Amino acid sequence: MTPRTDLLQGTLDVLILKTLRAAPMHGWGISQRIQQLSEDVLQVNQGSLYPALYRLEAKGWIRSEWGASENNRRARFYELTRGGRKQLAEEQEGWERFAQAVSRVLAAG
Amino acid sequence: MTFRVRTVFRALLRRPAVESQLEEEMRFHIDMETRKFVERGLLPEEARREALLAFGGIEKHKEASRDATGAPVIETLLQDVRYGVRGLKRNPVFAAAAVATLALGIGANAAIFSVVHGVFLQALPYGGGDGLVRLRQDAPGINVTDAPFSPVEIADYAARNRTLAGLAEYHSMWFVLLGKPEPERVQTGVVAANYFDVLGVKPLLGRTFRAGEDAAGAEPLLLLSYDYWMRSWGGDPGVVGRALRMNDRIHTVIGVLPPMPAYPDDNDVYMPVSACPFRGRPEASHDRSLRMVQVFARVRPGVSLAAARADLGRIGQGLAAQYPGSYPAKGNEFAVTAISLREELTRAARPTFLVLFGIVGLVLLLACANVANLTLARLLRRRRELALRSALGAGRLRIARQLVTESTLVALAGGALGLLFAAGGLRLLVAFAARFTPRAREIAIDGPVLLFALVVSLVTGIAFGLIPAVSARRSLTLALQEGGDRSTSGIARHRMRSALIVLQVAISFTLLIGAGLMIRSLWKLQSVDPGFRGGRVLTTRLDLNFTRYTDAAKRWAFEKQLLERLAEEPGVVTAAISGSFPLNETGPNSGRFEIEGRPAASDDLRPQAEFQRVSFDYFSTIGVPLLSGRVFTGADSPETPRVAVISRSLARRFWETKDPVGARISFDRGKSWIAIVGVAGDVRQYGLAAAPPDEIYVALPQFPTLSGSLLVRATGSPLALARLVRETVRSVDPDQPVDRFQTLDQARSNSLASPRLTATLLSLFAALALAVTSAGIAGVMAFTVGERTHEFGIRMALGAEPGSVLTLVLRQAMTLVAAGLALGFVGAHLLARLMSGLLFEINATDPPTFLAMSVVLVVVALTASFFPARRATSVDPMIALRSA
Repeated sequence: MTPRTDLLQGTLDVLILKTLRAAPMHGWGISQRIQQLSEDVLQVNQGSLYPALYRLEAKGWIRSEWGASENNRRARFYELTRGGRKQLAEEQEGWERFAQAVSRVLAAG
Repeated sequence: MTFRVRTVFRALLRRPAVESQLEEEMRFHIDMETRKFVERGLLPEEARREALLAFGGIEKHKEASRDATGAPVIETLLQDVRYGVRGLKRNPVFAAAAVATLALGIGANAAIFSVVHGVFLQALPYGGGDGLVRLRQDAPGINVTDAPFSPVEIADYAARNRTLAGLAEYHSMWFVLLGKPEPERVQTGVVAANYFDVLGVKPLLGRTFRAGEDAAGAEPLLLLSYDYWMRSWGGDPGVVGRALRMNDRIHTVIGVLPPMPAYPDDNDVYMPVSACPFRGRPEASHDRSLRMVQVFARVRPGVSLAAARADLGRIGQGLAAQYPGSYPAKGNEFAVTAISLREELTRAARPTFLVLFGIVGLVLLLACANVANLTLARLLRRRRELALRSALGAGRLRIARQLVTESTLVALAGGALGLLFAAGGLRLLVAFAARFTPRAREIAIDGPVLLFALVVSLVTGIAFGLIPAVSARRSLTLALQEGGDRSTSGIARHRMRSALIVLQVAISFTLLIGAGLMIRSLWKLQSVDPGFRGGRVLTTRLDLNFTRYTDAAKRWAFEKQLLERLAEEPGVVTAAISGSFPLNETGPNSGRFEIEGRPAASDDLRPQAEFQRVSFDYFSTIGVPLLSGRVFTGADSPETPRVAVISRSLARRFWETKDPVGARISFDRGKSWIAIVGVAGDVRQYGLAAAPPDEIYVALPQFPTLSGSLLVRATGSPLALARLVRETVRSVDPDQPVDRFQTLDQARSNSLASPRLTATLLSLFAALALAVTSAGIAGVMAFTVGERTHEFGIRMALGAEPGSVLTLVLRQAMTLVAAGLALGFVGAHLLARLMSGLLFEINATDPPTFLAMSVVLVVVALTASFFPARRATSVDPMIALRSA
C-alpha cells in the first residue's frame, strides 16, 4: 500500500532527504536550503513541503523533535533516520542512473 | 507494518496535539518567510501577504499533511459516520423509509440464506461426512425403482467391494411399546450393529450398538431418538438402563441419540436386526429374494463416488450372473448404484429454495434501487450543502466517501433490523423447509448467516451509495456554477432516477409473475377432483400389535367388532378400516397381478397395481363413486369367494371400453383367482398433482390388515369424535394404541401446504415490491412535476387545457412503466423457467397471468402518478411565472 508517487513528489522527497543529510533542520529551513542549493532553479511549493515531511515521517525515514530556532522560537526540527539514510542512498543511485541514461540518449541525438 | 499501525494510532490518539503542532509549525514557517521579505525591504503587511501567497491554502496543506500520516482514513471515517448519523437524524422520514426497505431486502436474503446454509452448504450432521451414500437398485425395464436389498445381498456387497469403508443395513417398522400408562406405537429403525458407526453418530447418553449385538439370539436392545426421548420421556436421563416390553420381549434401553434429521424415517427408537421379529427370522438371513432392507455405506476416503458406483455395478452384475434365479431376467437386470446422502437429504428442497433465493435477490435489488432513488431525491435537496462543502475544500472523493458512508450506515441499520425480521420468521421458515427436507432442524441464524448479512449490508450500502455519489460528482460543479435551485444539474440525476424506476417496475413485474403463476398453479391444484368427498371424515392410524393378532382370523375379529361398535354410536354415519387413505403420507402398497386368460411372458412383466384392503363401507365413508357392478358388502366374508373392486383407470387400461366385472385376477401366479365385482372412481392417492394410480381394492374380511387406518364419517364435526373413537378402540382392546387423528380434509389441505406456503411467500414479496415501486413512481413524478411547475405555468398561460397537462405527466410515467414492463418480461420469463418444476398444469408463459399482472402494474402505476399529475394541472400560471 505505498501511495502513488509521481516524479515531482518523488523528487521533492529525495531533495528533502538530501537536505537533511547535512544536519537536522526545520521546514522553512529546508525550503530555503533547497532553493539555495539549486540556485533558485527549483522553487519548492512551500505548502506542499509539509505533507511531504509528514509522509516521510510516517514512512520512518525522518523523525522530528521540537527545538529552538535560530531566532529562539519553538520550531520543529527534522532529522534523517537510519532508514532514511539508506533510502537516500538508493534514491540517489537511482536518480543518477536515470539522469545518465537521459543524457546518453540526448547526447546520441 | 507495525510501525505504521503505531503511527496511525498515535496520530489518532493525539489528534488535537497533531492539529496544534501543524498549526504552530506552519505559523512559524510563515513568520520566517515574512521576516525574510521584511529584510528585503517590504512593509510588514506586504511581507505577510507575500508569505501567505507563497505558502498557499493553509487548510488544504493541513489536510494533506494529516492525510500523509495515515490516520485520517479512520479519522475521516469517524467524522463521516458522525456526520452521517446527524444527517439521518435530521431526516427521519428518509432514514426510516430507507432502513425499512433495506431491512426487508436484507432480512429476506438472510432468512433464505439461513436455509441455504443450514440445508445445502454445511456439512452433514453425521460424523461420516460427505462420503456417506445410500445404495439403490433399479430395473427400469420392468418398472422397478429403488428396490430394497436382502440381507444376503448386503453380506455379498460387504465382502466383495473395494471402495466402501463400511456398509450397514436399515429398515423401519412400527411396534407397540408397553410399560407406560398408555400403549405407544413406536416407529422403530431396525439396524445392523455398525449402523451408527458407519454414519458417524455418537450417542448423547449411554452407548450405541456394539459388534455382535445384532447376532441371532442376542438380547434385545433399544436406542431412543432425541425427539422421542424428549416427547415421551421428558428428557429423563434415567431412562438408560430401563427395561421396556415390546413384541412380548424385554428390551433394555442402552442410550439416547443426539438430534438427527428424521431420515430415512422419523424413528422413535432403534433396535438391532436380531431384535426385530420379522428380520430376526432365520429365512430373512438366507433368502436372497427376501428384499426388505436399505443399505447405507461410507465411501473410503480418497475414493470418488463414480469409482464406488462402478465397483457396486460390477458386484451387482456378478451376483445376477451367479444367482440367476434371484434376479430379473437378462436385459432387465438391476442396476446398482450409490447416491450421496447429501443429495438424498436435499434433493426435494432444491428447486423451491433455488427459486426463493433468486426471488429474494430480486427483492434486494429492488430495495437498493428504491433507496438509491430516495437518496438521489435527498441529494437534490442537499445540493447546496454539498456545493458549499465542496467550495470549502472537500474533494470530490471526500464527498463521494461521505455519501457512501451514509448509505453504508443505512444499510447496516437495515441489515440489523432485517436480521431481527429473519430471526422472528425463523420458526415459520423451519416449518416450511421441513416439508422439503429432513435437514430443516439445522437451520439457524448462526455465524455464517450473520457474516452473510453483514457482507450483503456492506455491499448493498456501497452499491446504492455509489450511484448517487457518481451522479453527484458529475453535477456538483454545475450546481456550483449555477448556484440556484432551478439548475439543469438535475438532469443527469433525473435520468438516473428514471432508470431506477424502470428497474423497479421490471423487478416488480417479475415478482408479480412469479406469484401469479404460483397462485394459478395452486388454484388448479385446489380444483383438482381428488376422487373422494373428504368432508366430515375423521381418520386415525390403527396399527395392530402383531404379537397379539397373530393370524388373519384374530385381526378380522378385532376389526369387525370395532366397526360394529362404532356404527352403533350416535354421531357416526359410517366407519371403515383401510390399509391407507388418500393423500396420506403412507400410500398403498404396489404389487403385480395376473389377468385370467392373459398370461405374462415372465413374472417380471406382470402388470402392476396398488393394493388396498378396505372394509365394505370404505367407498361410502370417503365418498368414492361406484361406476359399475357392486362394492363390498357384509356378505363378503372370509368364507365366501374372494372378490375385488378395481379403479376406473385400471379398468380402462386392461379392458378398455368393456366392463371388467366378472373377469378374474390372481396375485399368486394363478394358484387362486379373485373375481372383479365392481369398478370404482379414480382416487388421487399420492397428492393432487400426481395422476391417480391403478388400484385394486380387496375386501378387508378376506385380507385383514395389521397396519392401517380407521375412517369415520361423522354427522357433525369429525374431530369431536376423536375421544369416542379412542374409547371404542380401548373397549375392544385396552392395549391398542390409537394416534394421529386428522380429518380427511386436513390431510388434503396438508398435501397442498408447501405450494400454498410458496405461493404465500411469493405473493408477499410481490405485494411489497409493488408497494415500494408505486411509492417510488409517485416520488419521482412528484419531483418532476415540481421541477416543471414553471413550464406547466407557461403552457397553461398559453392556453393548454388541464387535461392535456395531466396527459403529459401521465404519459411520462407510462413511458417509464412501459420500459419497465418490457425489461420485466425478460426477467419474468427467466424466473418462470426456473419455476417450471414447481408449477402444476400451468405453462411458464401462461398468457392470462402475464396479461393480468401487466394490467395490475399499469393500474397501480397510473394511480401512483395520478396525484402528482393532478397537482400539475392545479398550477396557477401567474404564481408559477412570477416565482420563476
